Amino acid sequence: MKEKLYPVHIAILVYMIQTGVVVFSLPRIMAEAFGYNGWLMVPVFTLIAALNIGLIAVVYRLSQGRSVFEILERSLTKIGAYPLYLVLIVVWSLLGCMVAKHYVYIFQTMAFPTMHPMLFKLLIDIVAFLLLIKGVYNISKATMSFFVLTAWMGLLLLFFVPDFEFARLTPFLLKGGTETIRGGLNGYTAFLGYELTLLLFPYVNTKKGFIKAVHAGNLLTGVLYTLYAFVAFGFYSLGQLTAFRFPMLDMLSYIRLPFVERIETLFFGFFFFTVLITIVMYIWASTEALNRMFPKAESKLLAAVLLIVIYGVSWLPDTLSKVEIWLKWLGYGQVIIAIGLPVFLILILLILRRKEQGHA
Amino acid sequence: MSLLAKWLRPGKDNKNATHDAESIEQQALLEQYPTLKIMQDLFADCADLIHWSWPESQLDMLYFSHLAGNEEFAREISEPFRSIAPDEMEEVLSRSQYKPALDCRSASKGILDGNVCLFHKGSAYLVSVSLPETRSISQSETETSINGPHDGFVESVLINLSLIRRRIRSTRLKALKLQVGEVSKTDVYLLYIDGLANAENVQEMKKRIELVEIDVVHDGNMLVQLIDDHPNSVFPLFQTTERTDAIASKLAGGKIVVVMDGSPSAFSAPSSFFEFFASSDDYYQRWAIGTMTRMLRFIAFVITISFTALYVSVTTFHYEMIPEDLLITITQSRSRVPFPPLYEALLMEITIELLREAGARLPTKIGQTIGIVGGIVIGQAAVQAGLTSNILIIAVASSAIASFVIPSYVMSASIRLIRFGLLLMAGLLGNFGIVMAIAIIFIHLSGLTSLKSSYLTPVAPINLKDWLDIFIRAPFSWIQERPSQTRTPNKRKTRIKQ
Repeated sequence: MKEKLYPVHIAILVYMIQTGVVVFSLPRIMAEAFGYNGWLMVPVFTLIAALNIGLIAVVYRLSQGRSVFEILERSLTKIGAYPLYLVLIVVWSLLGCMVAKHYVYIFQTMAFPTMHPMLFKLLIDIVAFLLLIKGVYNISKATMSFFVLTAWMGLLLLFFVPDFEFARLTPFLLKGGTETIRGGLNGYTAFLGYELTLLLFPYVNTKKGFIKAVHAGNLLTGVLYTLYAFVAFGFYSLGQLTAFRFPMLDMLSYIRLPFVERIETLFFGFFFFTVLITIVMYIWASTEALNRMFPKAESKLLAAVLLIVIYGVSWLPDTLSKVEIWLKWLGYGQVIIAIGLPVFLILILLILRRKEQGHA
Repeated sequence: MSLLAKWLRPGKDNKNATHDAESIEQQALLEQYPTLKIMQDLFADCADLIHWSWPESQLDMLYFSHLAGNEEFAREISEPFRSIAPDEMEEVLSRSQYKPALDCRSASKGILDGNVCLFHKGSAYLVSVSLPETRSISQSETETSINGPHDGFVESVLINLSLIRRRIRSTRLKALKLQVGEVSKTDVYLLYIDGLANAENVQEMKKRIELVEIDVVHDGNMLVQLIDDHPNSVFPLFQTTERTDAIASKLAGGKIVVVMDGSPSAFSAPSSFFEFFASSDDYYQRWAIGTMTRMLRFIAFVITISFTALYVSVTTFHYEMIPEDLLITITQSRSRVPFPPLYEALLMEITIELLREAGARLPTKIGQTIGIVGGIVIGQAAVQAGLTSNILIIAVASSAIASFVIPSYVMSASIRLIRFGLLLMAGLLGNFGIVMAIAIIFIHLSGLTSLKSSYLTPVAPINLKDWLDIFIRAPFSWIQERPSQTRTPNKRKTRIKQ
């Protein structure tokens, strides 16, 4: 019996891929890019992501659940599709790898500053590998349990209710932002991850509900991001938001319980679960593409080789800022893939359909 | 390669050949028609085998007296054969309880099962007089019940079957008889309710039991390890229990139950990780109390795996997490301890495990002494000697107590073991280490299956209806459906499709 993914799995998977450490800097990015009440742009981003998912929906409908690799190979031929695969592999695997390194660097601002970051990175890669080799169905099961382990953290927002002031939101709407386009693009990278659902077509259980589930996952991300950003904008002033590198992290350190305080290291630790899923899914996507190039190779071996190679590459950026620059460019690349790949696939599918109709 | 293998293992082939020849000879013997002589040869050097002979009636019999019941023996042997004439012998032996034995295999198995083997004029018959000694039905010691039924399984499979049949009086309760153990030939019964259990699951379980290759199986917990989906996992994948009410409820839920002779542990499948935190007692309390107890057990799970690890992590790497007032107490308490927190915690955890194991192995009265000695010496003296801190004693004791709250002893032991992994990770990498360890545990759990169904059901795949009977103990009127994990053809609890 081959296990398949149900809509609820897909919704949670999409949410967990999208949610990453960007959430800690999201209020700052929004404040820098859009100024006062920048949080209002988060729902707009959610909508843009939803439109992008609409493109994926068209691909899904036209392809009738066939794998995107199959579609590409039918029109471009196997060899013709290889350069595209290569680009996808490079962008996806490096994104996964840099997300991990980014997490490590942020963690090291709080604890273990003297330990070599690549040691942490190695541990994360080992854990990622353990999950990766279990296949996408088990990844989704792990995702579900990680979701349950982290979902309660949304309740932490209640701690900020007493200190939340509407006055801080000010009556100005989107005023005082700088570098709106670039900043906005940076903010949009926080929503990336839904495009990986393109590769999930063959693993889906029911034809119905798949796209709805992707939308639901995106909506969940959008709602939570909006809530986080809204609370951050009412908790800090615009000046503070632009001054802090990770405003959400500073907010976490504000929480005090009678027997424990400064729990940001622990809670940031819990974010490892969502980051892990992001990393694993990007590497999984790369491995899927790699598998098309080397169909006879063992996928576990391919995953291991890929992880070793990108581990080597991840030595290159050696500071948090450099990692952020890498992430920024990879994020831009990924935005292009997220929009470009579905559009390209739609064109191919339409051409194929016309050809088939011509033959008929 | 094969030459090298032969050179490395000299004589192995010869041994195998001898063994094969022996077994062929043995097989041939077992296929023969049973005569007194052959049977006596088969049971040569079995001093406990009784041979009775009535030359005047040309009747001989072989049996084990310790497997026979006095009443049964009197009814089937003493009374019918006491005062009959030799010519009436054949008429008596034609009664239905005297079954002809057609080969030595069935005759020898019959004797081993507690039958008397009768030989008369070249024919052999078997008659059951079996009543092996068993202990009386009593409460399970590992799973005590406060206000539920107190009958627990015993070592006799027939008594266990009767306990189950008394609880489920239905013709739909089926029992397939199987056998495991090349040497022990242990009877195993696979029970399920027709129409509630998934047919594929039944076939799968049957196949797994039939394919077991081992000489002897002593207990249900041992059999589980031979047939579950991931024998190398630290977690139990089928739920074992000694409670009859628990087994009846599993059967009614559409699960498959296996009971074996010689073991008071029956097991049910498929099982989920979260099911091990439920106890039958939850259903005998008001739902709110049952729910609270069940949630308490999940909190106990978190405490067991995290308390000591958090202590180590915080006192090694994250002092900033402790509020100022508490910090003074902790630093005072730790000031005299010369070891790093990890060593200190490992020392105490190992001591607690030693105490637990010693308490389990010793008779109850001495076990209590061990508890007191351990409590005073380890608790008080270790702190006074400056070997450990007060706070750690509290952390270790709470996590040990919490581990015993988990109703399944097997699961509790597994959780205690993984706790050491968390402890080491916390000592090496602090909070990050704890989170990594939790991730690894859940990655492992997500890959596990129980009878091909997800071990993390109903969390992954998610099924909120099942949560009503897993994470809480909802009122009975709310729990309308059987667990989804069983893939039962009859989901609703209130009806059985005809």
